[in-house]
This record gives sequence, C-alpha cells and structure tokens, in this order.
Amino acid sequence: MGTEFTLYLDSADEVRAQACFDAVFDEIDRLESTFSRFRASSEISRLNREAGDGPMVTDPEVFQLLAAALDVSRKTEGVFDITVGQLMRAWGFSGRQPGIPDAQTLAAAQECVGWTNIELDPEWRTVEFLRHGLEVDLGGIAKGYAVDCAMGVLRSAGVQGLIDAGSSSIAATDEAFARGWEVSIANPLDASATLCEAELGNRALSTSGVMEQSFVQDGRIYCHLIDPTALGAETSAPVRQVLQVTVLAPSSMLADALSTAMFLLGCERGRIALAQFPDCSAFWVYSGAEGIQCAAHQWPRDNFRLCK
Amino acid sequence: METKTELMDRRDFIGLAAAGLGALSLGMRGCNSPRAVAPSDWVHVGVIGVGSRGQHMMRMLLRVPGVQITGLCDIYEPRIAEGRRVTGEQTTAYSDYRKMLEARDIDAVLVATPLGLHAEHVIAALDSGRAVYGEKSMGRTLQDCNRIRDEVRRTGKIYQVGLQFMYAPWYREALRRIGEGRIGQVTQMFSCWHRNNNWRRPVPPDGGLQLERLLNWRLYRELSGGLLAELGSHQINFANTVFNAMPESAMASGGVDYWKDGREIDDNVHAILRYPGGQTLEASYITTNRLDGAQERVFGTGGSVVLTHTEATYYEEPWYPNSAIPPEMKIEHKLITGPTYSAEQPYHGKGDSPSKGSADDVDLRACQGFIDCIRNHRRPLADENAGWSEGVAVALCNRALEEGRKITLSEFLGSAAS
Repeated sequence: MGTEFTLYLDSADEVRAQACFDAVFDEIDRLESTFSRFRASSEISRLNREAGDGPMVTDPEVFQLLAAALDVSRKTEGVFDITVGQLMRAWGFSGRQPGIPDAQTLAAAQECVGWTNIELDPEWRTVEFLRHGLEVDLGGIAKGYAVDCAMGVLRSAGVQGLIDAGSSSIAATDEAFARGWEVSIANPLDASATLCEAELGNRALSTSGVMEQSFVQDGRIYCHLIDPTALGAETSAPVRQVLQVTVLAPSSMLADALSTAMFLLGCERGRIALAQFPDCSAFWVYSGAEGIQCAAHQWPRDNFRLCK
Repeated sequence: METKTELMDRRDFIGLAAAGLGALSLGMRGCNSPRAVAPSDWVHVGVIGVGSRGQHMMRMLLRVPGVQITGLCDIYEPRIAEGRRVTGEQTTAYSDYRKMLEARDIDAVLVATPLGLHAEHVIAALDSGRAVYGEKSMGRTLQDCNRIRDEVRRTGKIYQVGLQFMYAPWYREALRRIGEGRIGQVTQMFSCWHRNNNWRRPVPPDGGLQLERLLNWRLYRELSGGLLAELGSHQINFANTVFNAMPESAMASGGVDYWKDGREIDDNVHAILRYPGGQTLEASYITTNRLDGAQERVFGTGGSVVLTHTEATYYEEPWYPNSAIPPEMKIEHKLITGPTYSAEQPYHGKGDSPSKGSADDVDLRACQGFIDCIRNHRRPLADENAGWSEGVAVALCNRALEEGRKITLSEFLGSAAS
C-alpha cells in the first residue's frame, strides 16, 4: 500500500500491548499481500494477470472491496476509478519523473482505463475485465480498508487505540484515550496553521491533497489524483484549484475513497455526490485569487477558520 | 527400511505430480469461473479451527472455482463471526466437530486446530469419509503421526498436509536442479526462521488464563510443538526431500531466554539433524532478531541455492579439480581482488535468480492441488508420507530438545513400539 502505518494504543500491560502491535501489523501485512499490485503473489496481481481472459472467482473479501470501489465510482460520476493505474504510469506518477505525457501515450493509457469494464457477478462471485490490459489498483481504497481491519483487531482484543496510515487515513476506537480524539486539519500551504478540527469517535478521517505527489507546469498544479473522466480536457482546468480535501465517514475505507473523489469533483459537484453517502462529511481547501479558501459539507463542527 | 522406500516413492511421485499440477494451472487459465464447474464437482468444505490460519486457508479455498465453505467449527465463539465474514454467508456453525462431521453437506474438511489436536480431528474427519486438508505439522507426537498415517491408509481417503512450499514452483525447480547435480553433491543445509516478536496473540482483557492458553496455545507444551513444529516443519520437510531420507539422528538446544512471560515453549531453538548419507541440516529459530528472516541454504560441492518465501537464488562455487560438477559446467563468481581480498571472505556478489514460474500464492496453489485431487482422485503431492516424515522428524527434534541429548531415529521409532 506504499504507506507507513502508525498505531497508538492504550494499555497498562506491555506484554499485551506488544501482542496487539503484532496482531495489527500481521493483519496489515495480510492485506498488503492480498491487495498490493506490486506483489506478484497478491490476489489483485492474479486478477490483473488473468481476469482479462474470462471470469475469475475470488474470495468474498476481495470481491466486496472491488464492489465497494465500483459503488463509489458509480456515485461519483466515475472520477474515483480503480483502473486508473495505466494513466498514473503515463503521467509518471508510478515511479519515474512525473510530467505531461504526449497525446499518443495518453490515448494508449486511456484505452486501458474505465471502471465500467470491470464486471462483477455476485451470484458466482466472479470478476472479469472486459478489456485486455485493464489493471486494478486498489491504492485509493485498500489503505482505508486496512485501517478498518486493524481497528477490528483492536476491538476484538478489547484495546483502545488510534491508527494513522501515512497521516492521510486516521481512525480511532470509540474511547481511545478515554475521550474523543481530536484531529487538526492543517493548512496545506502552512502545516503549522490549523484550518479546523474534527473529533474522531465512530468515524474515520481521510485527507487527499496535492502536497503528496504533484508538479507545476505553466502555472498549473498537476497532482497524482487523476480524473479519468476529464482526459485530454486540458482546457477545462478548474478555475479554483483544490489543494486538499478531508472526509469524515463511518469507515476508513469510505473516507479513503471519498477523499479522492471529493478532491476530483470539487465542492459543488462533490456536495451533490456526497448526498448519496449517509453520515459522510467533507472539507475542501482551495487556492483562489484571495488565498486559501475553504468549503464544507455537513462538517460536524462549525469551527473552521480562514474560510469563506 | 520402510521409511526409505516411502521417501523414494515420494521423490518419484514429484515428477508425476508436477505434471498434474502443470496441467491444472494451464487448465485453470481463462476458465476460473465456478459457473463452468459441474454441480457434481463442487466441493463443500467444513472447517475445524477458524483461527487466523484457518481463515487464511478459507480465503484461499474460496478462490478455487467450485468450492463452498459449508461448515465452521470452533470452540471459541467469536471465531464463528470472523469465519462468516470470510465466507460472506451465514455459514452453519458448530461448536462440536463431531456434529459437523454428521452433516451431509460436507465433502472435505480443513483442519486448522492447535497441533496437539490434529490427530483427533484429522482421524475423525477421515473416518467420516471426508478428504482432509490437515495443517502442518502432521501431528504433535510420533504416535499422532502414526495414527494419522494409518487412518489415511485404512480409509483410502485423500489427505493433504499443509506443507504448501512443496507447491512453490521455485522450490520444485530447485529440487530439479539439485537432482540434476547442478550444485554438485549436497553435503550441508542451513535453515533459519528468524523473527523479532513475542509470538503472542492478544487476549481480551476478561478472558482469563483459560482463554490465554487457548488463543496462545503455541506457547504451551500441552498442544504445541514450538518453533520447530510451527516454523521448522517446512524446512525440515525440505531437507528430507533434498536428502531423500529421514534424519537418522537429531540434537537440539533452546530455552526461554528472552520472552520470560510465563510461556513454556522455547523462544529460541537450534537443531542439528544428521542424514543417512552423511549430510547435515543445521536449523535455527529465534524470536529476537529478523536480519536473516526465513530461508534455506543448500550447500553443494559445486554451488549453493538459497530459498526464501519468494524466490530461489543460485550461486556457483569456483571450480576445482575434484569438484563433483563437471568442468564444462564451471562458472566462477567474479571475484574482486584487492589488498584485503581473502578466499575466506563470504561471497557478497549477485547470484542467479531465474524466473520462479507461476507467481500465484503458494497457499492458493496448495488449495488448488487439494481440490484437484478430490475431483480427479489423485494422490496429493504433500501426502501422508510427506506429512509423516516431516511430522516424525519434528517430533524427533523436539524429543532431543526436551532431553538435551542426541537421539537416533531408530531409538525414537522404537520408543513408540515399546
């Protein structure tokens, strides 16, 4: 999943704490070995190799995560898309130096993209890619799912704690450290400044932003979050540039996927899409002519500063 | 000697089974849909022991077309909910495995219970007429292994032991190359499985000592064979296959020297197994440093092969006149000489890591093999003979560890008869 997981837990017993650490990281390892497209033996790699040849049965956990990903795609105008891997490569966000690809490279990559080319058959629990060359990358949702599973390990062990995956997905048990866990949302342009705060309880938080991987060319920020529906539409560059989005959701999996989707949709379209996801909130940070601007949808606490 | 004959048979069988496995994986490509599986070929699996290993193997089984998990049995109730999350269904739950074995909708049984219970559960499942996938080690004691082997033979049912690395293409390729003499005469093996953790599972706070001993059964003598069984079994099995024999003697040393938390099982174990051909396996299991991880190093007069959980890497020795490898095969390491060069320096250069073949997960391959054996009435590669020689060798080492002395196989086998 290419990220660093940090676990904070509250236990008076060091031996138990150590056992919990091991159990949580074993679980994250298990999910990495299931969902990583970088591991040849993972289930996702197996599907990427063979699901273009015909329907393949997979286990319910993998099937359900794929189904959840496609559900988010369906409800977010297709901007969240787990088949975007070839485009990421074309833009150089998967390793080599990122840059604007030439039209031919972009067109070739586009041929291999499109979540509607994934066919899931719940009756037989099969996955089929309707287009050869299609590849699934669950990086935008599996990290959150891993946080959910890790929380499950803590809950079944009866231990309170908080898990932070690369500072972009955070979740805590209900009573972590005996009170609600407050998370500050920083100004993406000045990490020392807090834009607002949110309290984690039964909810998970995820942030997506341009600061993770991006480059600037001709005054425009290009970031690793790619909208597959706006391909080649360079002319439709947004007037206001989204810098960061934070989503609160009932699960880390949903928060993870929706933070990408809300980033790409922006505030206006995002609010409409978000209405389909109960108990989810979003907080956008833009750069505009007047500096940082913020917008929110169903944000639980009306405490943001610097926001217009 | 019966043992020897069985192993010879097993080695011969490697070639046959490899052909079967190849056909299997070729046959699978492009027709991985359960829709294509005839109703009569569906395999319904009941699971005894729905802990972390059981759940993992359930996921693997559910990736094989035409497999359904139809029964979950565990005495620890939370495992049932976890197991149902894995199956994605309200799978029928049992707290008594005998009740599950009475059910009509079960064709095969996965036994993933604590080691000390393998014999009871595997034998009952075989006796009920089911094919059995039994986790390794085969049994905790010599008697357990004997009973399981005898029951497999009596019932004629399919039994596959959970030695999944036997299904790893890079292990199979290594066995082929070793068999062809590509690394000369193999005289020594070194294996290790080094971790840096306390090997504990978290126990809910209100669980009490009983639940601690159930969830952390690996740490207590009653049900566990310790590091040798839980980790060493794969490696000892590999040595048995490379040397085509059982160890003729074993000595071992270990202790609870770091994790002094009430456990009864040693937190570090080191064993030396001698084989009839004059070869040695030196095996090391520690829980306080992971630099070396899990690996097997096979040393031949003409070269070496290092196997890990993902690949095999080959190294050639410099050729010398009395080498077992023919001169035409000689390839020397590129040595960088300098003021500090010494022939005794360890080799730090790159080895040759050929493609490992299928990239699929080895547990998945083992499950595919098991289901294929059921459907096509084939004998598993990891059959009762493989399981018996592995299980008995592990039990021999554990006896040597307990008694702190060298024990021969013949003495050990004789002790069961007396």
